[in-house]
Amino acid sequence: MRSKKTLFTVGFFVILSAVSFLIASEGSPPPASPHVAMTPELKEKYPIKAHHAKLSLRCTDCHEKQGDNPEDFKAIGDEGCLSCHKTKQYLADRLKFMDALHVNPHNSIHDGPKLYCDECHNEHKPSDNMCLSCHSNDVKIWMRKTP
Amino acid sequence: MKKLVLILKSKLVWIALGGALFGVLFSLGVYEGLHRTSDDRFCIVCHEMKPMVAAYRNDVHGGAGKSGIKVTCVTCHLPQDNVLGYIFTKAKNGVVEGAIHFFGNVDAIDWQANRVNKDHFVKDEGCIHCHVNYRDNANISEKGRSMHAHYASLKNTDQAVGCASCHAEVGHQGLRSMLNYYHPEYDYYKGKLDKYKDAVEKKLAEEMK
Amino acid sequence: MSNKETMSRRDALKLGALSTAGLAMLSASNAMAAAPTEKDVKFDEEYDVIVIGTGFAGLAAAAKAAERGYKVLILEKMGRIGGNSVINGGGMAVPNSTWQKKYGIQDSGELFIKDCLKAGLGINHVELLETIVKRAQDALDFSIKCGAKWQDVKPAWFGGHSAPRSLVTDNMSGSGVIKPMHEFVEKLPGCKIMTRTKMDDFVMSADGTSVVGVTARINYRFDPKLFSDDIENKTGEKKVYKAKKGVVLASGGFSMDKMFRKLQDPRITPDQDATNHDGATAGALLKAFQIGAMPVHIDWIQQGPWASPDERGFGVAPLLTQQGLFKLGVAVDVRNGKRFMNEMADRKTRADAEYVILREDPKAYPVTIGTYNTFEEQVYPIMEKGLTGGVMKKFDTLDALAANYKIPADALKETIKKYNEDAKNGVEDQFKKQTLKEMKGKEAIEMKGPFYAIRLMPKPHHTMGGLQINTKAQVISGNTGKPIPGLFAAGEVTGGTHGASRLGTVAVTDCLTFGLIAGENI
Repeated sequence: MRSKKTLFTVGFFVILSAVSFLIASEGSPPPASPHVAMTPELKEKYPIKAHHAKLSLRCTDCHEKQGDNPEDFKAIGDEGCLSCHKTKQYLADRLKFMDALHVNPHNSIHDGPKLYCDECHNEHKPSDNMCLSCHSNDVKIWMRKTP
Repeated sequence: MKKLVLILKSKLVWIALGGALFGVLFSLGVYEGLHRTSDDRFCIVCHEMKPMVAAYRNDVHGGAGKSGIKVTCVTCHLPQDNVLGYIFTKAKNGVVEGAIHFFGNVDAIDWQANRVNKDHFVKDEGCIHCHVNYRDNANISEKGRSMHAHYASLKNTDQAVGCASCHAEVGHQGLRSMLNYYHPEYDYYKGKLDKYKDAVEKKLAEEMK
Repeated sequence: MSNKETMSRRDALKLGALSTAGLAMLSASNAMAAAPTEKDVKFDEEYDVIVIGTGFAGLAAAAKAAERGYKVLILEKMGRIGGNSVINGGGMAVPNSTWQKKYGIQDSGELFIKDCLKAGLGINHVELLETIVKRAQDALDFSIKCGAKWQDVKPAWFGGHSAPRSLVTDNMSGSGVIKPMHEFVEKLPGCKIMTRTKMDDFVMSADGTSVVGVTARINYRFDPKLFSDDIENKTGEKKVYKAKKGVVLASGGFSMDKMFRKLQDPRITPDQDATNHDGATAGALLKAFQIGAMPVHIDWIQQGPWASPDERGFGVAPLLTQQGLFKLGVAVDVRNGKRFMNEMADRKTRADAEYVILREDPKAYPVTIGTYNTFEEQVYPIMEKGLTGGVMKKFDTLDALAANYKIPADALKETIKKYNEDAKNGVEDQFKKQTLKEMKGKEAIEMKGPFYAIRLMPKPHHTMGGLQINTKAQVISGNTGKPIPGLFAAGEVTGGTHGASRLGTVAVTDCLTFGLIAGENI
């Protein structure tokens, strides 16, 4: 009698864990990126932004599938940026309060949420706020330096 | 019968019974206390929490999702690894924040600047308690999973990052905008966002009835 | 004549090493063969129509052609859609518009042409102006069909116009037209926009007479630091596109072309600021000349008299002056406190008047002065930007203002006193300013203050000259005197419409009208 009960319980858990294993194994951790050893020289040549450095991001986190030689790396384009930063609309929405005064750089009166990221943002050199080309004096009163 | 009377007369029994009753009532009180002071209805009692609560209520974690499921404030903002730690932090925060609320100058707090410390305010174990399979959930993009693996690899090192390091407005959708409606980051906005703040207040008043 | 000869050695030295390199490369590229023919190339993709440029003219042409069922490819060299159109002020002059009728304004096509000819010093190609009179309302309606929204208010009265006839977009920017038109075009089947794609050359038919496609570079990245991006920039990968029906050139003007604009008007130094976006260069225009297109009025470069030296680019000054200080206020020479122009005259008259002062003393920027009553309601939000950014300054008294700009205070007060008296009495002032007529019985400049002021400096704004087109937007060949088969053009890349100087808010009209016409006729 007791052994039957035990068997039943064990069986139940086996099935349950099989099910949960199946669910869990639907998506497996992606393969590890190739490794680029960080050297002080590389760090100086290709500095990254403080907010990215804080996350200890490695070269190949952005330069995916571009091999392991930094000299061969190419710009990652909008697709690369948005693989973490979601969508241009999402980024625009995060600055919604700026829309009230028509000064949201991610949803400007001129371009909407459609500019290339690297029109303003650079990773390995200082960013260059495109708004400044016409609004040289007043940009500083409505937004901070482009990260 | 005599035995019963004797037992009833014994002090020990009364103490035991009283103790038990006190215990039950105390636990109930603590439970109720902890429970009632865990959600947005309690937190918003202090007016300075309005923008956070309003943004929370716009978030999927605050009931804005299809399921309407709400995660209480304390789930993410208090340590969840052991009960004593939880109660201790809660009591400590209660005293400190209450003191700031009553005796400090809450209007002078730069909430936006404090967001730099968001990792400190958000307890990862609260997130992971629900998002158990954050490393291998197929619904997360490949990039997301590889970044989550990165997160896990940094855990317990001096480079450790928190969930909120990347998920900047998690739990409070539109937090930066909401904070700006209440306390604009730039002088240029001052007085110009009041109608948005008023709309937020109106919505909150409706929902908190 | 080689380019080395057109520029003196001293000039070349002045321009520095970069420019010298640029010129050397220009000679090199000129030495190369003319446009390739279809025999020389292999087409990568095939379309009915190819449009170069995504401004008002380009998008209007593309939208119309696509609406007619054509498969359209639109090439834009910049990363951003819309060129100058997207940073323009969103004003469109429409003579005899439905708006004017609604708001009871008298106007006529003849009056419009007369205004344009006056500003254009009579050298305008009148048949193009007549076409605008006939089709501007259609162009306006087409923009509305594409989703543009225009303010439902009385049309604005811009400088040089004899009647209020300018509509303004709801967001007070040309983007109010470009954004919806862009979306309209993107949704049309067979329509494709490629940004950061630069047209390099026309591809000609085997006999060299007609345009049958273009060569271009994808993943091209414009570099504003180059002296001549058109010549020096080698980025991108080459592609060849076939255009079965033809190509519409809507590549805009060249106010930012450091080399070409100086060649036309040597007073414009390479480092001189302009109101234009960085990509406004002459590259595509020159390619059209190379295949025989006829040039018109190339050296008439309009400079905006309402710009300020105290900010970069277009900025906020043009709005604060045109829809503000110029209307009821005055502009004075800081050296003597006297007015020197009709603040509401056409652009050339005003820019020339400012240049007379600036040539005598390059630092004596004239100052325009007015009070709150001169500002139109639409510019109220801009006023704060102007003040905070420092482009516009506010003073409680005329003495304080005069002291700040080192204007002789008594002379300034006398100027304003006379100006106000004329306005009050309904007497025509010395410069025959048309906007004062409405002021009878009132002070044009309110003496209680506060007083607002902006320093003025002309900036290259619109290049009048370009390709000769006919009323069907076909480009005329200098070899045959007839249209070049397969080549249409519209907008600032064309010449003749505006003559010596374009009136404010007629550019949008010109671009949308001839863009529409090109789209209809291709």
